[in-house]
Amino acid sequence: MPRPAHELITLTIDGREVQAPENSMLVDAAKLGDVEIPVFCYEPKLGNPVGACRMCLVEIEGIGKLQTGCSTPVKDGMVVHTQTERVKEAQRSVVEFLLINHPLDCPVCDKGGECPLQDISFGWGSGLSRFVEPKRHFVKPLELSPLIAIDRERCILCYRCVRFSQEISEDYQLVLLDRGADSYVSTFDGHPYEAPFSGNIIELCPVGALTSQDYRFRARPWEVENAGSVCTLCPAQCNVTLTVRDERVLRVLAREHPEVDDGWLCDAGRFAYPPHPPAAEINGGQALTLGARVAAPLVRDGGTLRPVSWARALQEAAAGLARAGARSGAVAGGAASNEEGYLLTRLMRDALGSPHLDSRATGALPLELMRALCDPRLQARVSDLEFAHAVLLLDIEPVRDAPILDLRLRKGERRHGVKLIRSAGADPAQLRAAARELSAAGKEVVVLWSERFAAGPEGEARARALLELAEELSFGETDGAGLLEIPAWANGRGLREAGVLPSAGPGLTPPPAGGLDARGIADALVRRELSALYLLRCDPLDPKDPLAAGAPAANGAEAVSPAQASEAWTRALDHASTVVAHASHLTAGVLEHASVVFPAESYAQKEGTVTHPDGRLQRVRQAVAHPALVRPEWLLIAELCSRLGLELELHSAEAVSRALFDAVPFYAGMSLEEIGGRGVRWQERPQAAAFGRAEELPG
Amino acid sequence: MSQQLLLQDIDEPGLHTLAVYERRGGYEALRKALAMTRQEVLSELEASGLRGRGGAGFQMGKKVSFLPHGAIERYLVCNADESEPGTFKDRELVQKTPHMLIEGIVIAAYAAEASRAFIYIRGEYVLQADVLDSAVAEAHAAGYLGEDILGSGHSLSLVVHRGAGAYICGEETGLLDSLEGKRGNPRLKPPFPANQGLYQGPTLINNVETLATVPAIMRMGGAEYAKLGVETSTGTKVVSVSGHVQRPGNYEIELGIPSREIIYGLAGGPPEGRAIKCWFPGGSSAPVLTAEDLDVPYDFDSLAHAGSMLGSGAIIVVDDSTPILDVAMKVAKFYRHESCGKCTPCREGTNWTVTMLERIDRGEATPMDLDIITSVCDHIIGNCLCVLGDAMAMPIASMVAKFRPELEAHMQAAHERALPPAAAPAGGGGGFA
Repeated sequence: MPRPAHELITLTIDGREVQAPENSMLVDAAKLGDVEIPVFCYEPKLGNPVGACRMCLVEIEGIGKLQTGCSTPVKDGMVVHTQTERVKEAQRSVVEFLLINHPLDCPVCDKGGECPLQDISFGWGSGLSRFVEPKRHFVKPLELSPLIAIDRERCILCYRCVRFSQEISEDYQLVLLDRGADSYVSTFDGHPYEAPFSGNIIELCPVGALTSQDYRFRARPWEVENAGSVCTLCPAQCNVTLTVRDERVLRVLAREHPEVDDGWLCDAGRFAYPPHPPAAEINGGQALTLGARVAAPLVRDGGTLRPVSWARALQEAAAGLARAGARSGAVAGGAASNEEGYLLTRLMRDALGSPHLDSRATGALPLELMRALCDPRLQARVSDLEFAHAVLLLDIEPVRDAPILDLRLRKGERRHGVKLIRSAGADPAQLRAAARELSAAGKEVVVLWSERFAAGPEGEARARALLELAEELSFGETDGAGLLEIPAWANGRGLREAGVLPSAGPGLTPPPAGGLDARGIADALVRRELSALYLLRCDPLDPKDPLAAGAPAANGAEAVSPAQASEAWTRALDHASTVVAHASHLTAGVLEHASVVFPAESYAQKEGTVTHPDGRLQRVRQAVAHPALVRPEWLLIAELCSRLGLELELHSAEAVSRALFDAVPFYAGMSLEEIGGRGVRWQERPQAAAFGRAEELPG
Repeated sequence: MSQQLLLQDIDEPGLHTLAVYERRGGYEALRKALAMTRQEVLSELEASGLRGRGGAGFQMGKKVSFLPHGAIERYLVCNADESEPGTFKDRELVQKTPHMLIEGIVIAAYAAEASRAFIYIRGEYVLQADVLDSAVAEAHAAGYLGEDILGSGHSLSLVVHRGAGAYICGEETGLLDSLEGKRGNPRLKPPFPANQGLYQGPTLINNVETLATVPAIMRMGGAEYAKLGVETSTGTKVVSVSGHVQRPGNYEIELGIPSREIIYGLAGGPPEGRAIKCWFPGGSSAPVLTAEDLDVPYDFDSLAHAGSMLGSGAIIVVDDSTPILDVAMKVAKFYRHESCGKCTPCREGTNWTVTMLERIDRGEATPMDLDIITSVCDHIIGNCLCVLGDAMAMPIASMVAKFRPELEAHMQAAHERALPPAAAPAGGGGGFA
């Protein structure tokens, strides 16, 4: 469906001519002319303006009353005044009204120093109040939820949080109770506000009324540094700003990117921020039990894992891998970066001579199918979800698999009338029926599908059916239409493109030799055809790991239940003589079976790139220093290569990135500067031509 | 007595039943209208110059003509949430002659091409809503409502919806939100209801009296109706007179007659021995006028020129037995209680004004507080999302302006009562709130 066009018009604000998109709101247009019109309730992300706070009153020539700049679409020739005495008086009066009941406890308020109410009072208020009566009082602070505290005295009733709950996350839990000067924000009957995206209201609040229980009183804005990065806790890869104080991440804020997250974060991303191990753990004083953080390299000694020096851990790992040589296998997952994936391919293929490596939790697909599904012409962007005529959801639950896309789909449905069709079934007849429904809705269709969809014995057939659907709906020729696959692991797409596949090298090119996929590696370990296993950020015995999910049942084929999958992997790990793992926590498989455990970096410590499911390369930037005994993971894979006789001469994270860009044909010429803070979709660069056309699919 | 269009049969026993209404010529205007084209009906409405009787005084015919054309569902909503203090004209019309309203709704819906209509009646009007319910059922059974009305091809469903007792739901967009099942808060305008109203569809909203006048206009013809009243305020108006008068009640007058004629001639003036202190010409939200303004012609423009407004056409008379501060507090408290809280100036300003007025009454105020009240009212007027804030600020500001000496005397007297002479005066201090 057509996206809003942006025809430029000229208007005059405070005597200067400003070019702005027609019908954009005056508040936004004014910014283009370096004029700031103060706002509280206006937030474009929340949909249509409501004009409630009245802070943005301005004078428009030809209109008698003052108008709210947040809700006035600009027209050619409009003449606006924001600095007349009339406007200033109105703005001063709104500030005065808002401060009547505000406690002005800025010195003890978390928002102090980054507070719009403070800024606007300072910039547009009169500095004096004529109000001498008692202020409104509420019990405070109250627990709105275990994550959020609410201080109703500070609230200026802008309704941003209520609108978020009602119109963005659509959980409908926040409401406004009572009326007039007695109004207050609450949940029905005082139930806790528990919802997958609740934390966004903290960032939306223009005062200190909604604060993070976790961040409360932990820091003041002038004591922290904010560092941009990308959350790699799930494939959605939302852009974030990490609030850092004393080398600790205290808070995660959204870093709005319309092509990735639309400015929102899920609660998991916001509150499960990269923890920093306490000093006792760093010193190795922790008990090494299930779930414990890995804060130092560990080696199995006499049946149990013990902290050791880096030299010893590297030596043990190198020796174990050297013994196995070509009889090694590797699986990469989790938040492993593109660079780590690339170095793993060098370690396996070039240092050990083993073709057995995988990064698909759900089993291999033939290379030509993978290439066809990855064809740049068929790839949908995230924003296409919002403007498509219809979106088909195949075996995916967005709020679980890539939460932030759930909000994007809701937005598309609510604001642009996108038709959502869910299909759990995948037999060709069902897909054909879905195709008919989709084409009835319009030409621009996005198929959002999970890696699971093409898993199991029927996976290949389903992938082919998907390609037929793409062909039938002419995705290749339709802008705004396409496939969008959500991989099982956060950087699944990046690892595949880096060549962590049994059937492909970097850039999905045919490998020198074909190898075994994840399940094949497990079986080969049991048969003792393989003897060493390298687990890069995954653990098949961790119930949360996609490897542990088994495989779905399909027509005529047995399903692999999670229990069976776990049993198969337990036997495989029992048979492996060397298991090297990168892990942040001691999950079941690592705790019981790893010979050597390297502490994994949190994403706040990592430097590298990841690839978003829609092909956008994004930079993960180091925000905090590594704890004493944690080292960059790329460095230790490179070190293992070196100890196994492969000198890569890669001495910085940037050098590894460059090596990756050189190795993947369609990343050619990319640089970290080009990726920058907003990322680059490789399909939109001329070098995408290097991908070539998808080969004709056999039979 | 001037011409009676709305109240002429009002005392006829059983007028609320279809049989009596038809005997008095009811639904003839509808037959006449349905024999005309929609455009012709609309032209008659436009020619009548009928201005909305709810408070804003916008030309009804123009409102109808604003509805966009095309194949979209249009709605007609009758605003019977009569909540403005002093206003009780719609109550009498609905209770005694509901069919006149229904007839008007069907004709207006025909002109507006609307096939669904709603009457939003305030929850406290229990009897009136019951009367409406039976009248709608009767009209439906007689074929004046429903499918293919009188064989004309025009269809209309009419639903009576009872409000839950909020003044703000009489504000047209608040009414629409409430009707949709949401919290009754005013919406940002534009878009105006004519473009995006009920369920986002084009919607014609009119007051009970406006719609009840439509049958008369169809009977007389728009041009003939326009001859009544004065040029910019045509026709007749039901005026609710209350307060300190000897004969309070509803009076139908021709617009443009001197206000004195209504207050003294019809309503009998204040009780013996009392004088008029002030009067609200159009409900409690109108700035007050004084005895000097009694000769102002009672029509939209003359009252606006005199610094007030015709509003809902409710005259409240206050005589010299009542302190002006009591009047001001009554008005301010009403609007503070009814403010929805959505926009800042109204939510905070009405509350602040009440607390200042109470402080005057307690003797804790200084004359500077009167300046602050004036300034707060000034900051409310014109700066709010809807006109509820203005509805408090305009009369309060007018009272402070016109009765400042009385308020200062009141303040002084209360101050002397409250404090021993040596104590320091309180209030009015500065400081950062």
